Amino acid sequence: MIEVTNVWKRFAAPVLRDVTLRVPGGCLYGLIGPGAAGKSVLLKCLAGLLRPERGTVQIFGETIGALDEVALQAVRNRIGMLFQNNALFDHLTVAENIAFPLRRRGLTDEAEIAARVADRLRAVSLPGFEERLPGGLSGGQKKRVGVARATVTRADVVLYDEPAAGLDPVTSQKIFDLLRREQQEAGATVVMVSSDIDRLLTVTDRVGMMLDGALIFEGTTAEAQGSLHPVVKQFVHGEVDGPL
Amino acid sequence: MATEDEGLPAQTGRAVLSLATDVGGVAVLAARLLRRMAPPRLDGPELWRNLHRMGVRSLPIVGVTALFTGGIMVIQAGVLIRRFGAEGLLGWGAGFATLREVGPILIALMFSGRVGANNTAELATMTVTEQIDALETLAIDPLAYLILPRVLAMITMLFVLTIYGDVLALMGAAFMGEALLGVSTATFWNGLLESIRVWDMATGLIKSALFGVVIALSSSHFGLSVSGGAPGVGRAVNASVVASATGIFICDYLATYVLQ
Ligand SMILES: Nc1ncnc2c1ncn2[C@@H]1O[C@H](COP(=O)(O)OP(=O)(O)OP(=O)(O)O)[C@@H](O)[C@H]1O
Ligand SMILES: [Mg+2]
Repeated sequence: MIEVTNVWKRFAAPVLRDVTLRVPGGCLYGLIGPGAAGKSVLLKCLAGLLRPERGTVQIFGETIGALDEVALQAVRNRIGMLFQNNALFDHLTVAENIAFPLRRRGLTDEAEIAARVADRLRAVSLPGFEERLPGGLSGGQKKRVGVARATVTRADVVLYDEPAAGLDPVTSQKIFDLLRREQQEAGATVVMVSSDIDRLLTVTDRVGMMLDGALIFEGTTAEAQGSLHPVVKQFVHGEVDGPL
Repeated sequence: MATEDEGLPAQTGRAVLSLATDVGGVAVLAARLLRRMAPPRLDGPELWRNLHRMGVRSLPIVGVTALFTGGIMVIQAGVLIRRFGAEGLLGWGAGFATLREVGPILIALMFSGRVGANNTAELATMTVTEQIDALETLAIDPLAYLILPRVLAMITMLFVLTIYGDVLALMGAAFMGEALLGVSTATFWNGLLESIRVWDMATGLIKSALFGVVIALSSSHFGLSVSGGAPGVGRAVNASVVASATGIFICDYLATYVLQ
């Protein structure tokens, strides 16, 4: 479903180094790794926002870098994305932010739009926040509005960058459970980056770990938890002593 | 980043490079926007929203500036007019200066400070907070949805505001002429209408359209090419205002030369 092959990307220094990764359809894939490992950059390459210098990214069998604008838009219509810093449109209300992807996909029935927005806000425990502006929300509230916007279209592929950052443990677990439940209901393919490893691993099917731009581990959740790779072991179990 | 112990050649080279990058960036932006004009791929509601907030909300400041400028021109010219008894020429002088030069350039500079700077700040904020990226992931072309309406609205509105400002500046001049020099408004308008050719007005308006293009493209370019978070937004606004003003004067120079 998602295939990343030998991808290289550099800014001032190399950020992705020969990343090869395969996410099967219907899989919830957890991407972990220390700060600045290149996780967000990899997600942006998946969404076609960044172009790798070398290597290919394929989604739905289409090579993202080779598509013309119209074909790329068609692919993007089937992808949802949550940005690490949410990227809410700050001139639009919470309701309009969440409705935005629906309107772009041609939904015009205002009653249905309002119902789906209200449903999303309930799902992220923010009922009644429709008319607020993003500027007046707390960090965690913004994050949850971002989650609501990313999930409103029930896209076939959803990319989440830190869906639970800045949330308290209870809300955080609720969000992970919600995203897992909806992913399973829709049969969606999901890539989820999170630093909250313990909770992330309660919902993942497969896990990849990045370090300094390279994918150093790839396997099922159980394999990740049982890995003897010193770096993976230290990172997954949050140990202080070790190579990191 | 320029450091202090860098030699002059290195600094000059860096400045030339960054200038070339920005000029090239503006040209590329212009080409990409032109491609979206034929056939027009434009968000109608966004265009209206921008026409309103860029144009209507600029009316007070442009009006006040224009009225006072007209008045000031008469005060400055007053001494000469009195000495040579050239009251009949007041309308011609004010009209010629305002329509061909002072009106377009002053209003463009005001517009750049108010609307251009605001445009850069908004686009730069949207860029650093990844809102532009978010638009792209929602299968929206930011140039067609966000930039083209702003560029067209700015060009249109500067043109309209220049006509409005010209009129107010001349009214200010006529008023001051009467109050200060005792030149009746009838004499003023007669002097103006008899001597000013349509071409004089057209020159000013052609210039204002050029200035609109300069402000729209440079303010959008600096907004979109921002880097470095919130401090970057401030730098982008600064660079955009400086570039717009420079561009306006260069264009004015060239246009005055060509359109004589
Ligand atoms: N637009 C950019 N320009 C220059 N460098 C960048 C850019 N985006 C990312 N980088 C660099 O790429 C590296 C990886 O960044 P990335 O955001 O992918 O890290 P990450 O794994 O998501 O980290 P975190 O967990 O802290 O979010 C960093 O060193 C960062 O400085
Ligand atoms: Mg990140």
